[in-house]
Amino acid sequence: MCANEIESRVVSTDLAPGTPSGLGEKIARLLLAYSPLGSLVRWVSRLRASVHSKLLGAFLLIALLLIAMGATSLQSIASVARQSRLLDQARERVDASRQIEHALGLQMNFTRNALLLRDYATIESMFRENNRFRDTFDRLEAAAPPEQRETIQRLRTAQDKVMATVARIAALIREDKADEAMDLHLSEGYPLYREIATLVTRAVRTEESGMGRLREGVEATYRRALLLTGGFAAASIVLALGLGFVISWSFILPVRAADDFLAQVAKGAFEGSIDVPNRDEFGALAARMNHMSRELHQLYEDQRRAAHQLRALNSQLEQASRAKSNFLASMSHELRTPMNAILGFTEMIRDGLYGEVPPEIQEPVSDIHTCGKQLLSLINNVLDLSKIEAGHMELAVGEYVVEDVVNTVKLSLRSLAATKGLDLVTTVPGDLPLCLGDGKRITQCLMNLTGNALKFTREGRVEIRVEAQGDALLFAVSDTGIGISPDQIGSIFEEFRQADATVSRDFGGTGLGLSITRKLVELHGGRIWVESEPGKGSTFLFSIPVRVAQEASA
Amino acid sequence: MKTILYVEDNEFNRKIVRHLLGRTSYRLVEATDGEAGVATAREARPDLVIMDIQLPRMSGLEATRQLRADPATAGIPIIVITSFALAGDEEKAREAGAAAYLAKPYSPRELLGMIRELAPES
Repeated sequence: MCANEIESRVVSTDLAPGTPSGLGEKIARLLLAYSPLGSLVRWVSRLRASVHSKLLGAFLLIALLLIAMGATSLQSIASVARQSRLLDQARERVDASRQIEHALGLQMNFTRNALLLRDYATIESMFRENNRFRDTFDRLEAAAPPEQRETIQRLRTAQDKVMATVARIAALIREDKADEAMDLHLSEGYPLYREIATLVTRAVRTEESGMGRLREGVEATYRRALLLTGGFAAASIVLALGLGFVISWSFILPVRAADDFLAQVAKGAFEGSIDVPNRDEFGALAARMNHMSRELHQLYEDQRRAAHQLRALNSQLEQASRAKSNFLASMSHELRTPMNAILGFTEMIRDGLYGEVPPEIQEPVSDIHTCGKQLLSLINNVLDLSKIEAGHMELAVGEYVVEDVVNTVKLSLRSLAATKGLDLVTTVPGDLPLCLGDGKRITQCLMNLTGNALKFTREGRVEIRVEAQGDALLFAVSDTGIGISPDQIGSIFEEFRQADATVSRDFGGTGLGLSITRKLVELHGGRIWVESEPGKGSTFLFSIPVRVAQEASA
Repeated sequence: MKTILYVEDNEFNRKIVRHLLGRTSYRLVEATDGEAGVATAREARPDLVIMDIQLPRMSGLEATRQLRADPATAGIPIIVITSFALAGDEEKAREAGAAAYLAKPYSPRELLGMIRELAPES
């Protein structure tokens, strides 16, 4: 993707990122867009608190509500219990009052019976009943609320008076003064009974109306407790849902924004940035992602620049290579053209085209020709090396016959060997297959090695030996020359090297032949090496595939 | 009498061929660049063309191609003199339609042999 196509984009939580759709999702979107929940979500996002604190706060809020609900319920239960106790007490008092009423009735009955029967025993049971009456009074007084105390006090006073009257009636009966007793009963006893009965009835009524109020209070408390509990439960549910919604969306939105943003970055749009309102871990994450994106963008730009530079450099190199190639071609031509004239004219003179050559200049003419040939050979070597260095050396791969190669070399160098008094021996097996390679270049290699061998050998022999070794051909050129010391063998195939600087003065040569030979052998996919012992002679060997791949080139 | 056209920009090399053919029955026509070579060939209708590969105004290969393409000159054998500069020169010479090629520096004796083979002296 080209950088120009990348638009700067800001991924924001306000955008609806590409996310799963569904009914729940739609509702959530509507809530976020049109309800205060949306702004609440943003507010929660902006809170400078960690995710942990936010969750803890939300759970704590719900827990507080539940605790409040529990407390209210407990309070209601306590209130109901207290009112029930009051109700029980009131009921007890009503019971006691009714007992008093009942006892009073009994007392009245006993008194009447005693008066009718004039029976002292009955009087006794009346007193007994009076004692039970007192117990009831004690119970009633203990349980009575303050406003009832006065009534009870009056009851007690009236009862005491009744008891005094009854005692007097009993005394009169005991003295057989029945009529007086009857009078006393009617004048004092009976009205007192009536008074007590009235008081008791009033007390009972008061209690019963109090009980009614208490009952209503209990019901009201119960209803209120029900309402409060229900309200708290509903509030808890709403709060839990609301907080869950707000907190989860305050997390979901940045996560989705991050997802979108990372998808863009993955597509190579490094110039965008992510913008979330969160000041929690998600905010930190977003900032980190923006940093990452900037770094990636920087790296991408660096890499693009580097690639651009590399392309420019490559094209420069290609241009330089073309220039070098053109230069080599024109140099080759420019050098050969005068050489052509020098060698051509010399050859024509020597061949007598211009008439008989006087004997005294026959040798100089021949020398000019020999030196011209040497100069040409040097030029060829320098050009070959330049071509190899520039990567323009190409092999003209074709079929060749090894025997022809060896014979060409032998014919070319026979006269040199003869001049130096050396034997030039060749050993080529007759059953060698037809080979594939650049015959001219292989000839050049063998010529270089054999020429060197002849050059560095003063007496003895030079042997060219060829043998097949599986898929490879081994060419070996042995001499009985000066040899090469072990420390010089390592660098013998490098350019401009001869084993010894003094050697070139004694034997001549530029030191290019071996280097070119090595490179030509390597172009054929082969290798070259030397085995030597100073003073005894050297053997140069190279091995190349019998059939060289067609496209071999430098 | 056979006519030989030699296209070569170097005066000394032209002189070699002039001297070489001077003692034969061949008639020599010379041109010093590719364009002139093609024009002279059309005009003089030589029996053989010796074409240097690197020439001013038009390369020897292009001149060879033009001569081969023209029905009037297509039958004339051409010897291309290569500089042996880069591998593939020979191949290019053959593709352009050369009958033979010779690498510089050539031996005059060898060139004469080639001329006699392609255009025998009558």
